[in-house]
Amino acid sequence: MKKKKCIAMLLAGGQGSRLGSLTSSIAKPAVSFGGKYRIIDFSLSNCVNSGIDTVGILVQYKPLILNKYVGTGESWDLAVADGGVSILPPFAGETGGEWYEGTADAIYHNIDFIDLYNPDNVLILSGDHIYKTDYNKMLKEHEANNADLTVSVIEVPIEEASRFGIMTADEEGNIVKFTEKPKNPDSNLASMGIYIFTWSSLRKALLEDHNDPQSEHDFGKNIIPKMLAEGKKLIVYRFEGYWRDVGTVDSYYECQMDLMDDMDSINVFTKDSRVFSNSNIYPPQYIGPEANIDKALISNGCTVYGAVDHSILGSGVVIGPGSVIEDSIILPNAIIGRDCHIKKAIINEGVTVDDRTDINDPDGKIVVYGTARLSV
Amino acid sequence: MKTIGLISANYRGEGFGDLTENRTLASLPYGGRYRLIDFALSNLANSGITTVGIIAPYDSGSLIDHIGIGNPWSLGRKNGGLFLMPGSLYGVQTGGNRFLIRDMLKNIKFFERDDADYVIISSSSDVYNMDYKTLIEAHSKSGRVMTLVYKKMPRGEDLKNKGYCLDIDETGKVTALKPEAFGWCNYFMDCCIVNREFMLTFLHWFGALEYMDMFDVVRDNLDTIDVGAFEFRGYFGKISSTADFLKVNQGMTDYDIRNEVFCNPDRLILTKTQDEAPVYYTPDSDVRNSTISAGCRIEGKVENSTIFRSVNIGKGASIRNSVIMMHCNIGEGAVLDNVICDKYVNINPGAKIYGSGGEDPVIIGKGSTI
Repeated sequence: MKKKKCIAMLLAGGQGSRLGSLTSSIAKPAVSFGGKYRIIDFSLSNCVNSGIDTVGILVQYKPLILNKYVGTGESWDLAVADGGVSILPPFAGETGGEWYEGTADAIYHNIDFIDLYNPDNVLILSGDHIYKTDYNKMLKEHEANNADLTVSVIEVPIEEASRFGIMTADEEGNIVKFTEKPKNPDSNLASMGIYIFTWSSLRKALLEDHNDPQSEHDFGKNIIPKMLAEGKKLIVYRFEGYWRDVGTVDSYYECQMDLMDDMDSINVFTKDSRVFSNSNIYPPQYIGPEANIDKALISNGCTVYGAVDHSILGSGVVIGPGSVIEDSIILPNAIIGRDCHIKKAIINEGVTVDDRTDINDPDGKIVVYGTARLSV
Repeated sequence: MKTIGLISANYRGEGFGDLTENRTLASLPYGGRYRLIDFALSNLANSGITTVGIIAPYDSGSLIDHIGIGNPWSLGRKNGGLFLMPGSLYGVQTGGNRFLIRDMLKNIKFFERDDADYVIISSSSDVYNMDYKTLIEAHSKSGRVMTLVYKKMPRGEDLKNKGYCLDIDETGKVTALKPEAFGWCNYFMDCCIVNREFMLTFLHWFGALEYMDMFDVVRDNLDTIDVGAFEFRGYFGKISSTADFLKVNQGMTDYDIRNEVFCNPDRLILTKTQDEAPVYYTPDSDVRNSTISAGCRIEGKVENSTIFRSVNIGKGASIRNSVIMMHCNIGEGAVLDNVICDKYVNINPGAKIYGSGGEDPVIIGKGSTI
């Protein structure tokens, strides 16, 4: 196997319980996003747009749709002979099998996989982030500084800093302190959960961490503090641009509205650093004679007879005659009957909404409607 | 009953003006995101046929670019798969021939090396969604060597651009292929199933007539060849002229046709995916009874039209009864009625172009700026 400069490991095994019924039958990275995309598309596209051609995807929680969706990786130009995409679920060994017990534990169990490629560096990614970036910039800083670990950070308002893992760095960008959700933050640099490790350093840390009975085997809680305590070279990489963690219903909703409303947020319409997806072959959308579309993002395969105002329709959605959809996100293959009124709601994948249904929270909260009925 | 498929793509259309100047009918863009050959390929693929030969046009660049190794139709396989076979130069010259014996002889190995019982031979430019399994079954039962697929059509006028109507006797045997018909006719859909071994015999018998169309030879030899017929009852979109092209595109907005041809979950029409973003509608957009494809940005008015991928329609522009192919840019306030824009056309702001009522649409050639 050719030696690789950098391979990516994408953490996609978590349940994402804060997304409620959106993840009741589907892993968070495979949740539909922005009409035709799934959340994982953004990280995978970033990899391929950065020239990273080897990606291990660590799966555990309900991976069926995720596995099926990623397939050979062909949709992201990642069906390459020497590398490409590998789905990495927990597996059994001579002494039995174990679940992934934490982010670092998942990587620990796949040391053999990483060793296959013998990379100089390993990029650790989360499968639930929406952003566009070229990882090469971060990799360049990592190598120029001879760092053991580079943590991608974003500036957050200091008053919100206590919600994040906060890095305190000196003037050269060396990390001097890391505090998970500090009560009195002394820095506004939040860790984005995107790391580049020098593989030899990470490999050693993982082996030691595995043997530590006190450890929760988590990058933020265990690996980073351990490396910091050992005096390793840890630096920050300041990310600039649009980045969202879509781990909650509110952030999931708002980020998609950004995609529609703000071309400076996450622009899926430009040809530079394209966002790729595993597109189904749906026919083009049909807009009926009485339809009324105000602002909207509408995907292939939709059939629209009703009114759509400031909403996003996923692939294969049907909006029945007389129905009004406002400020809502209709996930793929949902069927909305006649004369429904849906406001500020997320309709789950494949859900059928009966005729004359009103979906609207009186307090203006986002409603998540139905349980996903998945199809491929 | 193993069946393989052969698609003839080595012919041009007449009466399409600029639209087919540099492309064969097979690769004519259609319906927002398709090329005409997608229907022939998808019908075979969706009927479980995994070995498909395409007699490629002499100038096959656009077709090869579209089909690649056949992955969208699951034809990138080790066992069988896609065979792109070169057609002769004559295919682009002869008037109206679609199934040149010369092209089949040249690629006779396709018939020889497979052990299939039957071959489905079809054109590459007709719009329909058909489950060939019923055809294979009926043909197998009939014991005949060849079965022609037909559609009952109300008029004979569709016979322009070369077509045949079938006379069928009470036993189901085809007794004549007629170049003209009046009233209702059994219109031959340029699709048949034939016993593979008979096909080899046929090519051996009639090899000297290599300049002829296979079905012209069948027409002249119905006393020696036992030919049956199979009626197709679904939608059949025949595209013989630019007016047809406009009409069949608009057919996609018909509820029944859309459901039958494009939205049948068991038999989706497959095509090369381009992976474009969803369509972006601004508050100024006003779209009615139209088909819109991914990657478009719609700020103007669209009615009774087919809009292909990645088209921008500017504010205040108005598109009616038109077909706008991929990557066109329609400037602000432009008005198009009964117009077909080929790919990469730029319509300047305020331009006004009117074709005449569906009979004679205006065609704007690929890449033009108006």
